[in-house]
Formats: sequence, C-alpha cells, structure tokens
Amino acid sequence: MPNLLARRSYLRSLFLPPKPSIDVFLIHTQSELRNTNLCSSNSRRFSISNSFVYVPFYLGSKMLPHTPKSSEFVSNHYCSAHLHHQHCQFWSLSGKAPILGHGCGVSSIIIYFQAPNSLENVKISSEYNRNRVISNGVMLFCSHAAVEPSTSDGLTVERIIGNQWTILDESASDWKSHASAIAQSVHLIKKRLQWKKLMVRLEQLSAELNKPNIWDDPVHAGKISREHGSLMGKVKEVKAFEQDLCEHIDMIKLAREEGDAELESETMKALLRMRRDSKEKELDALLSGDHDSCSCFIEVQAGAGGTESMDWAAMVMQMYKAWAQRHGYGVTVVDEMPGEIAGIKRATIKLDGEYAFGYAKAEAGVHRLVRISPFDSGKRRHTSFAAVAVIPILEDVSSRIQISESDLRIERFRAGGAGGQHVNTTESAVRITHIPTGITATCQNERSQHQNKASAMAVLQSRVDQLEMARQAQMNAQHTQSLTEISWGNQIRTYVLHPYQMVKDLRTNYEVSDPDSVLEGDLDGFILCFLSAALDKDEDAP
Amino acid sequence: MKTTCFIRVPSFCTPISPIIRKHLQKSFNKTGHYNQNHISTLNSAQTSISTSPSSPAPSTSHKPQTPVFLRPLIYSSTFPDLQSFTSWAKTLVSSVGSTFVQLDNGSDSTLLLRELRWLLEDSIDDPSLIPHLGICQNGGITSNTGSSSTEVVRLRVSLGQMYQLWKQRIQERRPFQYIVGCEHWRDLVLSVEEGVLIPRPETEKIVDLVGNVVGGNEMLREGLWADLGTGSGALAIGIARILGKNGRVIATDLSPTAISVAKFNVERYGLQDIIEIKQGSWFSPLVHVEGELDGLVCNPPYIPSEDIGSLQAEVAKHEPRLALDGGVEGMDNLLHLCERTAAMLKPGGFFAFETNGEKQCRLLANHMENEMTGSFRDVNIVSDFADIPRFLTGFCD
Repeated sequence: MPNLLARRSYLRSLFLPPKPSIDVFLIHTQSELRNTNLCSSNSRRFSISNSFVYVPFYLGSKMLPHTPKSSEFVSNHYCSAHLHHQHCQFWSLSGKAPILGHGCGVSSIIIYFQAPNSLENVKISSEYNRNRVISNGVMLFCSHAAVEPSTSDGLTVERIIGNQWTILDESASDWKSHASAIAQSVHLIKKRLQWKKLMVRLEQLSAELNKPNIWDDPVHAGKISREHGSLMGKVKEVKAFEQDLCEHIDMIKLAREEGDAELESETMKALLRMRRDSKEKELDALLSGDHDSCSCFIEVQAGAGGTESMDWAAMVMQMYKAWAQRHGYGVTVVDEMPGEIAGIKRATIKLDGEYAFGYAKAEAGVHRLVRISPFDSGKRRHTSFAAVAVIPILEDVSSRIQISESDLRIERFRAGGAGGQHVNTTESAVRITHIPTGITATCQNERSQHQNKASAMAVLQSRVDQLEMARQAQMNAQHTQSLTEISWGNQIRTYVLHPYQMVKDLRTNYEVSDPDSVLEGDLDGFILCFLSAALDKDEDAP
Repeated sequence: MKTTCFIRVPSFCTPISPIIRKHLQKSFNKTGHYNQNHISTLNSAQTSISTSPSSPAPSTSHKPQTPVFLRPLIYSSTFPDLQSFTSWAKTLVSSVGSTFVQLDNGSDSTLLLRELRWLLEDSIDDPSLIPHLGICQNGGITSNTGSSSTEVVRLRVSLGQMYQLWKQRIQERRPFQYIVGCEHWRDLVLSVEEGVLIPRPETEKIVDLVGNVVGGNEMLREGLWADLGTGSGALAIGIARILGKNGRVIATDLSPTAISVAKFNVERYGLQDIIEIKQGSWFSPLVHVEGELDGLVCNPPYIPSEDIGSLQAEVAKHEPRLALDGGVEGMDNLLHLCERTAAMLKPGGFFAFETNGEKQCRLLANHMENEMTGSFRDVNIVSDFADIPRFLTGFCD
C-alpha cells in the first residue's frame, strides 16, 4: 500500500500531499548532515499520524528518481530514531543505498511530513558510511497548515484585534492587554509581509511544485522550491507566533481556573516576553524600506508670515533635535539661516544613526501651528506653517549619482567687498549649485571654507540622489510619502496651543492633547502610527 | 576637537604612544604649572619625540603662543558661572547689533554668537555642555537637561580670562582667531597670533590649484616648492600634504614671529622633514636653489597703502601691516615676484600668486606677456568663490 501510494504520488506529482494538511521540510544541504537538527521553530508537543516522508535525493543538479526501496531504509538511517512517534512512515525516492553510499555531494533533501502541526526534535542524522558526504545546510521548513491557530475556545489573532482590548503599559499585569499588543504587532507584521499577496504567491508556488514534470528542470525546480521554502519560512514564523499566543492564553485561563498562581505568573511573564519580542519584530517590519537604515538630513523651512513663522520653524527644528537626542542619534547643524528678530528662515541638521531616515521620513510635510503669537502686541491668534523635508544619506556609494565637477557652481555665501586680505571674517560659508538640476546647498557652520564646502557638498549629493530616487520611484509608480515634494498644501500635522491644546496628525488622525511633550521631542507615537498606516496603504495598493 | 595630526615619523623617531601621552598630560596637569615653553615641547612631543633635528632653533627668540584648544585643562568653573558668562557675552553681542557692519563691514551679531560658541568649544573640556548654556539664538524650547548646578566644568583658560578675551573681541575688535590662537583653514587648525597674518579662506584655493597641477605631473609632485611670506605656514603645510614622498617645500618669511609660528604649525603636523623654514626677504633665503624650484606660491601683501586705514578694524588695528601693505598700487611685491620667478623656477615649473583682484591680475598678466615675453606660458587668471579674479597662475617656459 505505501509503495503504491508513493508510486502514484511520484507519477502524478512528486509532492502531492496525501492529505491537505502537511508540514514541509526542505533542507538544502551543503555538507554533512550529521546531527543536523531539524527543529521546528516552536518547541511544542506534536502528534504525527500517518505521516509520510518523501526523501528525493539528487546528486549534483541531477535528481535520481527511484522508487522507495523500503520504509526501513530511511527511517533507520535518517529519521526514525529521533522521531518520537510510532506511526511514521518514510520514503526515500533515491532509494538506492549504494548510491547514497558513494554519494559525492547530495545537494538537497526534501522531506514531507504530514502532520497536523509542526514537529519537535526531528533529527536527521547519517550514522552509516562515513565516506559519504552529504552537504549540510540551510534548512527551510514551514507549515502548510491551513488551520488558523486558535485557543481552545476559538480565539484567534483576528478576533483578539476585533475585541479591541485596551492596551495598557507593559508593567500592567493584564493578559488581555498583552495579548492585544501582541496581536496588533502580528497584524502589522502581516501587513508588512503583504500577507494576502504572499499567500497567493505561495499557492502559485505550490501549484508549480505539484506539476509532475517539475524536476525535469532541476535548476528551475530548485529555484521554485527555494522561494517556496523561504515564503513558507515566513508564514511559519508568523503562524508559530500566533500559535504561541493562543497557547499562552489557554494556559493562563487554565491557570486561573485551577488557581495555580505560579503557572499564571510564569505565563504572564512569557506573554510579556512575547510582547517585547513582537514589538521588536514589528519595528523590523516597519523599517524595511530601501533606505530606512540610513542616516539623514532634516530640513525645516519657515512659511510665509514673518517672525511668527520663523519662530515656529525654530520650534520644529528644536523638536527634532530633542527627538533625535532621545533616540541617541548624533545631531549636527549643517546650515542655519536665522530670522532677523527670532527663529530661523531655514535650517538643515544631520542625524547620524541607524534607522534615522526610516523614522524621520514620517515627518516630511507641512506642520501647522495655531497660537497667540508672542510677537503680536495685539495678542491675536496666528496660524503659521513650517515645511519639513527628510533626505536619506545613501550608504552605498555606488548607488549615488556621480556629480561632475564641471556641473557645479560654487559661490562664497554672503560675499561682499574686496575680500582677500581686506577682510577678517569667520564667515566662510559657500553655496554650491548643481547646474543641471538647479539644486543648491549651503553650509555655514564649519570653521573653514574647505569644511563648509565639504559639508555643503554632502548635502547637495544627498539632494541630487533624492531627486533621482523620486524620479525612479515615479517611474516605478511607487511614489512614497517621504519623497513627495513639499508643497504648502501638503499639511501633515496641526499643533494647536490656543484656544485648546492638541496635536493632530492629519494623515492618521492620531492625536494627543499635550503639545508641550510633542514639542519636546515625544514624536514616536505619531511616527509609528504613520509608518503602520503607510503599510496599510501598501497592502491596499494593487 | 577637530585636530588631526598627520604624522610622518622619520625612522629615528619613535611615535609617542597614546598611553604615554596621556600620562605626560596627566603628570603635567598635576604640577599645575602653566608654562608655554613646556607646552610647546609637549605638543611637539605629541607628533614625534623631540630629538628631531629640526626642533625649534635656539636662534629664534620668539616663543609661539599655544592655541587655547591645545592648552591643558588646568582651570575649572561651575555650570552656573559659565551660564552667566555666556549670558553676559551674549548681551555684549546684542549691544553690537549691526554697528560693526555699518562701520566697516565687520561681523554682525549672528557671526559673533557663532564665534562665542567656538570660543566655548575651544575652552571647555566637554563640548556637549554648550547647547545647555543657552547660546543658541533660536531657543524655541530651551531644555536644561544633563547638568546639575554643582557640576565642575574643566577649562583650558580661566573664567576670568574668558571674560577678558571676549571683552577684547567686542570692545577692541581683536580678531577672533587671535582670541583663540588658531584659525581653521582647509582641514588644518593653524596656530596664529599677533604679528602673523590670519590665513584667509580665499587662499585655500591655491592648494587646490597646486593639487590640480601636481595630480598629473610627477616632476611637480616630487619636486621642490617654495612658499614666500609663509606667515603661519598655511600654504606650505597645505602643499606639503599633497606632494609625493620626495616633495619638499621651503617656506620663507621676514618676520621672526611668523617664523616661530610657522615652525610650531609645521611640527604639529609632523612635517619638519618636508618643510624647511627660512627667515629672510622674498627670494634672499633661496639663492642656493635658483633655477631649481618646481613650484612657487605666494600670498604677498597686496593692499594699496592708502586703503590700509579704511580696512575693517580687526585687520587694520590688529594684523601685521607688513603682511598687508603692498605699496602705493599694492603691486610692489607682486612685481618683484614676477621679475624673479622666471629665474627661480625650472622650465615647466608652476607658480600661483594671490592678488587684490581683477585689476592687479590683469596688470600682472600684461606685464608677463609684454615685458617678459617668452618667460611664461599658460598664464591664467583664476577667480575665488566670490567670483573676484584673485589668482594668477602659469608655468615657466
């Protein structure tokens, strides 16, 4: 019977799962498999019933299709000793022991397990014939399980989000709050992964792999199976995380029912660990844009409205400086054009540090202030604007635009008079113009002209790079928010200091009622909210 | 501190290890004596052990001053006291407003505030305190995080000196560079003091011009160069750092003060084996290398005598007239240079002179073309970044 099934499977489709629910283990091997652990990503008990294992071996790039010789063969030599369950049946499609014995470079092993969920402590070890070199490897394994992880009473991640349990501070020992936070993170991670699209792709790949002649072209087959494995890895990781969450919830309920305080506190701790873990994963997911990890420049420009606007621009700049310091970024003022009475007309700062651009890009746009102006003797309410631009500093030098010296015009900033020996000044700023694009950059905060020129050049380079990125993004129709050219109509946030107190993001509707804390650099709420909203947009995009 | 020491250590010198340096500094600080002679030895020891043959010649009587940022941290103050200094200094600045600008095109309050920040940067042990001193003109929200009022701030000059220095800056219009004893020029930080011209940003470009010609010309790159009227040694040091390993520079100056300051700077950058400093007027210290020079640069005094009186106060009242006054037309020295350059340079040798502007450049270029026909080729007028025709370059034919 097993033989028959195997042969039929092989003829029809090598990987046709005998039952819909199946775990797939794909090991892409490169050296000896001795004691390679095939552990499932989460360590839980599992049960296997009627599991099948196909082990197609191939030498080099050529697969050797063979009917399984015997179930003992594989189980003896590969898996059985380490599989805890009795009902496993294993098949090797290479089958021929001698070939394996001589095998010079088994490059890949694919094992299918049929199992309701994932496996624990599956070990594959070769305990025979030392001459054989099975190369080791990258293990990709994942669950194809169609079942949504859920608790015993049917609670799933979706439902947890649906319940809208209040998310309290981490210190609060409330499992619902933890669960809700974790579920939010999982939800966000799924969005980042473009879950629906990913599932569709996975279907396609599975279908491809199910074609009977797939292995006629081993290179193509390898490619497909690697992509399949990689996607499955991601899916599996998320599923496992969901599963863990559900189990912990079950556990905590159980602990409460039985009044087991120790178990309850243990589980609570585990939930908290999960919450932190998921927060990290969530951030990874949020900041996965091409240039997110870069340092960046932040530029603030005052809108029309004279001193009041310039003061507002200075407040905005101060807000970013404070925010950057909280995050431990290095802050350097590159260029600052002070207003006549107060504030700044324009300023550029440089933020050095990981993911500076990834976060700061959420701030690009026009910020609006409503308050009673201290510069108005009539104590009237004023509305003023400041525009913020965020420019990544590309780390990869090769991806930067080559700027030719002859395309540049370099001028002394605020030059006047005879210059040279006539003048003693500590002002040595230069303005560099990139003639083809008309982009300019200035630096005036260094102590020598040479250094000012170098800093201005760095700004110019980044601006030219950004222009090119925007052009390419437009071409790819993936125009992102950060690259949108700032126009005064593009308002992103309003800060009201009078008659009431509120800061509201117009893109996400996120709002707080404490403008002071925001102006002191507490921007993370706004930034994270925008970043996750941006993910929604990505997902909705065709 | 942005100082970078580029050390070229001769084989017989051992570079001093950072640990020993630290130790030296420590034990030095412990004694608490502030002796300029000591400090300059210490500083030369920082680049190479001072058994170097070209350590300051005993013939130089002048002892160069140590720039503030290189002085030891032997003073201290408290954070509130520094804050009161800053607010006092700011008041002084705001009383100036734009009067200096109107008077003689001097610095405005924005520039003066920046100078105040730089003075603090050079004087304070921990520059991260500066943003909390309230120096930022555009406060927005002033946060006062980090520093408790009892905290001791270590200083390189006493608070009393700081008051004095800033008073000099505003009331006497003493140039900022003399106040802190240094000028940031290109990627260098050069010591300067009264009696030595403060190198100008325009002059940086001469090094770029030299860089362009030595790039594709090995003779020039590995050749013998001269910087006449070197002052602080800026051009000589800038050029020495872009020449090849066999390149040499002779730097001359008439002023003994300039000679000692130039030596200090040359040694600080560890270039004493590449740059030879000689005292004397123009070409007189170079008679032994007549016709052997591969390159010649010079920023001679070029301001017409009658203009000197109307210069910005910082220049007119504080900088050495010897380095500024170029005679009636301002051309005396430039013409003298022109006459001798052809004889001093090898065929194919390069020269670059700084001038007062378009008029002087044209006069010189015409002079070379008409009066000295056949001596030079590729004579070229190059503008500075303010678009003023500033430099005259060319090759000896």
